[in-house]
Amino acid sequence: MSQTASLQSLESLLETFLDRVVFLKEKKLNVLDGINRLDDIGAMVNSGTDVTDDIGNWFAEHNKWLSDRTLKDTELNRITGMLSKIKREIKIDADSSMAHQKISSEIDRWNSKKEHTAPIIKLKRPPETVTPEPVLTPNSDTISLFVKRLSKMTALFMDYSNSKNHILSVLEDLLQKASTETSKDALILSAFIIYYLKQNGYKVEPYVRKLKEAETLYKKGMF
Amino acid sequence: MLSLGEKAYCAALLALKKKEYLQAFENFEKAAPYFANNKEFTLYHDTTKLLVEVKRKLGTLSEDDKIEIEEIFTHG
Repeated sequence: MSQTASLQSLESLLETFLDRVVFLKEKKLNVLDGINRLDDIGAMVNSGTDVTDDIGNWFAEHNKWLSDRTLKDTELNRITGMLSKIKREIKIDADSSMAHQKISSEIDRWNSKKEHTAPIIKLKRPPETVTPEPVLTPNSDTISLFVKRLSKMTALFMDYSNSKNHILSVLEDLLQKASTETSKDALILSAFIIYYLKQNGYKVEPYVRKLKEAETLYKKGMF
Repeated sequence: MLSLGEKAYCAALLALKKKEYLQAFENFEKAAPYFANNKEFTLYHDTTKLLVEVKRKLGTLSEDDKIEIEEIFTHG
């Protein structure tokens, strides 16, 4: 095979691989592109540009996200955060144009849907007192939830430890999964293994650093 | 707000979708400092870089793609 033919073969192989990447990430990419465009609109508002048409087009294109429920909570939170900021910046009041009021009502609609689809859970505890606390009975829901989580993490560990020779290799792969797939189970399991290793005298600083990075990506819910 | 890294990563993937590999590579380069420890990002970045290099090389080797440059000097 000539050098040109080899290069053409390699070119075709690399293009096929990248096509496959785009295909697999299509859905995520569409969401990310939508968020990115909304972010750009937010920046335009900051610079005093009239964004009425831009945001109108954005809503027209992305309203289906609400009905399809394709967004993850983190993505929805990001979008509603951006929309709320835009609403604050364009200062909509009774004297605003019809178009601005329409934008305002669309933003409110998104926010109300968000509240509907992703309720905020508030944990409350009674005020502290000097009298001894009453003995709390175990909450069966939290226990069963934890047991379920533990069993999922055990299955995950068995999956990842298969064919590995050392727990550090398992940890590396789990941290990778936590970062790239924003997997909560992988994140918690990685933290658990790191603590186990620390208790057994391993140097865990590089893994703690990776865990923190994975946690940041998990919170962002992107990539 | 999206970070510059996230914006560049997004632009890179969109460019890949449109098969604009040089633009994708340039955006991966911009995003690289933000995703230094992300193996998936590194894989896409390196693959795109290699593809751009291969395309450059093919452009050099292929007779059809040769560009003849003629320098014209004006006197006076």
